[in-house]
Amino acid sequence: MPILEVRDLKKNFDKTEVLKGISFDLEEGEAISIIGSSGSGKTTLLRCLNFLETADEGTISVRGECLFDGAHPVTDAEKLRRMRLHFGLVFQQFNLFPQYTALENVTLAPLLASGGADRGAIIDNGKQLLDQMGLYDRMDNYPHQLSGGQQQRVAIARALALKPDILCFDEPTSALDPELTGEVLKVIRNLAEKKTTMIIVTHEMAFARDVADKAIFMDGGVILEQGPAKELINNPRQERTRQFLSGLAK
Amino acid sequence: MFLTVTLSLLEGFLGTLKLFILTLVLALPLGLFISFGSMSKLAVIRGPVRFVIWIIRGTPLMLQLLIIYYGPGIFMGLNVWGSDTTGRFTAALVAFVINYACYFSEIFRGGIQSIPVGQYEAGAVLGMTRRQIFNKIILLQVIKRIVPPISNEVITLVKDTSLARVIAVYEIIWNGQAFIKSSGIIWPLFYTGAFYLIFSGLLTFVFGYIEKKLSYFR
Repeated sequence: MPILEVRDLKKNFDKTEVLKGISFDLEEGEAISIIGSSGSGKTTLLRCLNFLETADEGTISVRGECLFDGAHPVTDAEKLRRMRLHFGLVFQQFNLFPQYTALENVTLAPLLASGGADRGAIIDNGKQLLDQMGLYDRMDNYPHQLSGGQQQRVAIARALALKPDILCFDEPTSALDPELTGEVLKVIRNLAEKKTTMIIVTHEMAFARDVADKAIFMDGGVILEQGPAKELINNPRQERTRQFLSGLAK
Repeated sequence: MFLTVTLSLLEGFLGTLKLFILTLVLALPLGLFISFGSMSKLAVIRGPVRFVIWIIRGTPLMLQLLIIYYGPGIFMGLNVWGSDTTGRFTAALVAFVINYACYFSEIFRGGIQSIPVGQYEAGAVLGMTRRQIFNKIILLQVIKRIVPPISNEVITLVKDTSLARVIAVYEIIWNGQAFIKSSGIIWPLFYTGAFYLIFSGLLTFVFGYIEKKLSYFR
């Protein structure tokens, strides 16, 4: 059974249809990359999966349990909060909490969730995650003292600290200088090697091809093409996909 | 004479200080409350709240003092403030609290709305409750941003307390002016300026300290 099943997800903003019926599956331990031009609905899809936006129609199921059904959208704040815990999200703009150190950013949510129990274990886990991100010597720094690449790696550790079923990345390197992009991609690559279940929205085509198992090409709110990442990116079947990929190569 | 004047002005300054402190203590929380009203998603709450803020910020505080003190008697025949000094002080306090709460509420609103939506979203995807997001993430960032404008407003309040004398609330200028009639000297009135200066200097120092304390993050 797939860990994530998305069926016929639709979302409108006023009269603009941003998602026109998105369906895909994700297996546990797989990484899927979502590519496509700006405005194709990639980010909206991630935001619907994290319940930052409420889809109008369709269903989202995790491990066979239907979390979301557009016919009966959840409005209860506590239910919504628990639904969100299945997903982690790494933002394009990092969104670290400026008044907390790197380590505090990572441990804040788990400490609040545990109500103060397991404090030691949570902090140890936070340190270990930052170590995994290559930031062990930076854990007492505040976000403004870190480079963009370091901030994004803290954000990844922060998302991992809650052990989400599925970790989502929304263009994680788009706000970074080219020279800082590599260090973030390397960290995500390591996560893929450890079989972390991930959805990665990215404009880094080589990365999307090499790291992800599957790829989805979105255009105008629909999935135009999906399949094994290498195949889709090296030999796209659809003319529109070819056009998009060759446009990037120029 | 200098000592007599100084003592009298100090006594008047206590009245100033009492009005100042009570106004701050009451207007800051009330202002936060009003700011939530002015940001409400419900137009039936937001509309009236913003209307009141418009009235209060759009008219002189001195006029508001007079209306609050004399208004109930003139328009409703009610003697809500009594006829002693306590009643006049209470009326002045009510006017100051309402006036300053409205100004503070706009500062709070600006501060809260200046926090990027990404901060709320980051908290939400980490499974934090709305209350946790506000208390643990948003609040301190808001405080950092509003310290300079609040400090401005607070220093204005020190000097605005002198307006209370239009309804005969005893404060430092009242006591300074009394020497013109009683002893025919005007310098005590000018001397009150020193008290204001020292006190606002002290406040500037305190707010500078808070600003520095919050400079560890951006």
